[in-house]
Amino acid sequence: MFSRLLPRAAPRSALQAQQQSLRYVRASPTTSSLFHAQQRGYATPSEEKDLVIIGGGVAGYVAAIKAGQEGLKVACIEKRGALGGTCLNVGCIPSKSLLNNSHLYHQILHDTKNRGIEVGDVKLNLAQMMKAKETSVSGLTKGIEFLFKKNNVEYIKGTGAFEDEHTIKVNLVDGGETSVRGKNILIATGSESTPFPGLEIDEKKVITSTGAIALTEVPKKMTVIGGGIIGLEMASVWSRLGSEVTVVEFLGQIGGPGMDNEVAKQSQKLLSKQGMKFKLNTKVVSGDASGEGVKLEVEAAKGGKAETIESDVVLVAIGRRPYTKGLNLESIGLETDTRGRLVIDSEYRTKLPHIRVVGDCTFGPMLAHKAEEEAVAAVEFITKGFGHVNYGAIPSVMYTHPEVAWVGANEQELKEQGVNYKVGSFPFSANSRAKTNLDSDGMVKFLADAETDRILGVHIIGPNAGEMIAEGTLALEYGASTEDIGRTCHAHPTLAEAFKEAAMNTYGKAVHY
Amino acid sequence: MASLANTARLSARLASRNVARCAPARSFRMSARERAAQNFTMPALSPTMTEGNIAAWRVKEGDAYSAGDVLLEIETDKATMDVEAQDDGVMFKVLVQDGSKGVKVGERIAVIAEEGDDLSSLELPADNSGAKSATQEKRMEAVEQKERSSSQEKSLSPEESKKSTPSSASQGGKAQKQTKPLYPSVEHLLHANGLTKDDADAIPASGPKGRLLKGDVLAYLGQISKDAPANATARLNKLSHLDLSNIQIAKPTPAPEAAKAAATAQPELPQETEFAVPISLAAVIATQKRIQDSLGIFLPLSTFIARASELANEDLPIGKSQKPTADDLFNSVLGLDTVARSSRGQYVPEITGLGPVSYSRPSNKKADIIDLLAPKQKKAAPIVSAESVGISSGDNVLSVMAKSGDEARATEYLERMKLALEKEPGRLVI
Ligand SMILES: Cc1cc2nc3c(=O)[nH]c(=O)nc-3n(C[C@H](O)[C@H](O)[C@H](O)COP(=O)(O)OP(=O)(O)OC[C@H]3O[C@@H](n4cnc5c(N)ncnc54)[C@H](O)[C@@H]3O)c2cc1C
Repeated sequence: MFSRLLPRAAPRSALQAQQQSLRYVRASPTTSSLFHAQQRGYATPSEEKDLVIIGGGVAGYVAAIKAGQEGLKVACIEKRGALGGTCLNVGCIPSKSLLNNSHLYHQILHDTKNRGIEVGDVKLNLAQMMKAKETSVSGLTKGIEFLFKKNNVEYIKGTGAFEDEHTIKVNLVDGGETSVRGKNILIATGSESTPFPGLEIDEKKVITSTGAIALTEVPKKMTVIGGGIIGLEMASVWSRLGSEVTVVEFLGQIGGPGMDNEVAKQSQKLLSKQGMKFKLNTKVVSGDASGEGVKLEVEAAKGGKAETIESDVVLVAIGRRPYTKGLNLESIGLETDTRGRLVIDSEYRTKLPHIRVVGDCTFGPMLAHKAEEEAVAAVEFITKGFGHVNYGAIPSVMYTHPEVAWVGANEQELKEQGVNYKVGSFPFSANSRAKTNLDSDGMVKFLADAETDRILGVHIIGPNAGEMIAEGTLALEYGASTEDIGRTCHAHPTLAEAFKEAAMNTYGKAVHY
Repeated sequence: MASLANTARLSARLASRNVARCAPARSFRMSARERAAQNFTMPALSPTMTEGNIAAWRVKEGDAYSAGDVLLEIETDKATMDVEAQDDGVMFKVLVQDGSKGVKVGERIAVIAEEGDDLSSLELPADNSGAKSATQEKRMEAVEQKERSSSQEKSLSPEESKKSTPSSASQGGKAQKQTKPLYPSVEHLLHANGLTKDDADAIPASGPKGRLLKGDVLAYLGQISKDAPANATARLNKLSHLDLSNIQIAKPTPAPEAAKAAATAQPELPQETEFAVPISLAAVIATQKRIQDSLGIFLPLSTFIARASELANEDLPIGKSQKPTADDLFNSVLGLDTVARSSRGQYVPEITGLGPVSYSRPSNKKADIIDLLAPKQKKAAPIVSAESVGISSGDNVLSVMAKSGDEARATEYLERMKLALEKEPGRLVI
């Protein structure tokens, strides 16, 4: 605080020289900092923590709680004003709330009569739907704050930046500054939406996923740039609520690079049936948001036919990039790669071994559960000297309807690597539970080593795929063969039986198909 | 790291105990080998151990020992540990004596024989460093296993990971006692081929943590190629690490330069202006006196001012210079925010006493504050009078520095200060 006064001294000194006899009375800095300490109990600079974490997202808060449980003195710095990061505040949780409720709405509108349910006037109350979302979000973020208290994690609300290799200066949300020293430091500052060059985000007409979970009215026409998971989830929400949605994707398939070709095609077909339009192999050349709506110039990705798409709202969902702005990394010599990821070794250490990095701001898939696994491993490296994340068994889920989920390799990857594999699949249309639920689109597909039958990948498109993929992940983690799944009893009638039968169809024959 | 070594050591022990328990099965297999003296090599007692010192032999040449007896003590940089015999046997020759330092792991340190062997007729086996005694091999396996799994945690370049995968064995992994429940497919295959659970322990296991997989059994039965399990494991192991090869470091971004530019630009510094308002401290001084008279406590003026400043800094309107960050935007879109409209100020007030003579705008105390928000520089510098001019109960100037764009913020602050100090200073300290 005092230092802020210093620069002013210079220009005034001339004046001062003339006014030597004038006396200045200043609020003494000691008094006011005393005030701070009493009122808010901030860390005093002298106290050194075992671990200081920058970022209170999934990576940061999990590491904080874990470290607290291990008995470390730990502080977690978060600037958002709420814990949980992207995931809880503007990512996984709010999007899933909207996906679930918009699905219910859509189903009540279109899928009740044949089930013997007559409903009257169905109306959307968007404000209430948003409120329901906010209630879930605030409940969960408060829950984390509670866990911090419970595990003796000091929560510092503010923006952290490196002052030196061990000291983090924090610009407090409530004003003022403090600093914390840590024996170990964990950077978990996450990611942000990659902007689309030439289109300025205003979160009203040109939005990222953050705006897309908070629109105040249903746009008549919406264009989504990017047909990856986030884009398709948001497209689903607004399409179900009545928007006319077009998805523009540069690549030849939706779902992003990890999704199995066959599954992606099926998913696209099903989403199209719900009313979404797709323009694949198409690139957005430029955008213009100066008018009432937004105009996008698009053309075939390989050059060619140009076209203008007009819409009320454009969602930019072309990916996310690591967020390390303002950390003052240069001052301590920490490096990022060309895509902005903080450079680490296999134990998550930077060049300075007491500084580690986990989550979206470093390598690997940008997923909340990956961030969580890494957070635990990083704390274990600090406390125990070893930790482990199996990057070969991290599931991905797209929460559209039907859901898409997978773990391990997909078919195009195996082909490309020349692996000798075999495929087995089972459609939900042959599964008794899916049939009774009148929700039987999709399939389960196994990829296994042709010789050993060891499972290499599992791909599911269908109702509840996101829950079912847990079994595939477990199988992969244990090196199971499809026969191991086929010989394990699954309850009847459940969707999970389709999982078992697909496995049976890989090493032998399914019973019901 | 030390703790890693500890666990490894522990597991080496446990593994050797297992070995001792399933001795019958093994000695059956061993009998196929020639009954000869065997080399006993320096064991690795932790995955990181490369050499150690022989503290003392506990058996002398010619001594018979039973499984579990301590054969020798080994010192490493971390600890001294006993090495126990895995089988009954006889010490034939001690080749590396007590007190030897820096003995490499795998180096022959003794030759052991089986009970009943005629020591006088036994020949020393060749010291082919690779050929470890059966016992030793067993022990090393456990350690190697551990070493492998720990090295998996470290990231390996693709070549390295190829090397570390169990291709050293003819078939993926090493055979070991299967202590966990067998997988359904494995159990089924064993039954179908007339193998017992004991046989399972002899099949090289390529699964995670030494688990026996369907492919291992198929390869053992000759139904698929011998190296198929190892290949599958190698492929999956590679996927289990983050690929940290070929990282392209970003060029030191223009950011530092921009920062430097900003730093050099700094001397031109303040686009800050000083805002000032006349203030009377009469009420404060009166209160100060009242407190001193009634309570006998002297409260310095600075206390009043500091407290007033604390209050005045609360929830000031956000200035124009404070651009909302992307997060603010997001949060305001979400309606989650409390930050956007106001924030705590960090103003530090300055109070200057003015001599009545020098005050250039005589006694328009009641003037609108806005009129007085003029940059001070424009004001004629007060003429210094001979007598010292200090804070007086009458005219003083209260001023703060504020960035351009923050006018409303600074004004609000000054207004609040004025109110607090002129109207009810008593409330500041009670
Ligand atoms: C719309 C959407 C939907 C998603 N859905 C899913 C899903 O269904 N499943 C899934 O697994 N993943 C999903 N994700 C991805 C998931 O949200 C991220 O992978 C996850 O949040 C990463 O966690 P993190 O802790 O690394 O980073 P973040 O969650 O981004 O947290 C980083 C935190 O650090 C704070 N911070 C940054 N810099 C500083 C600083 N200098 N000082 C103090 N604090 C700082 C930020 O405010 C932020 O809160 C979704 C993302 C989006 C956008």
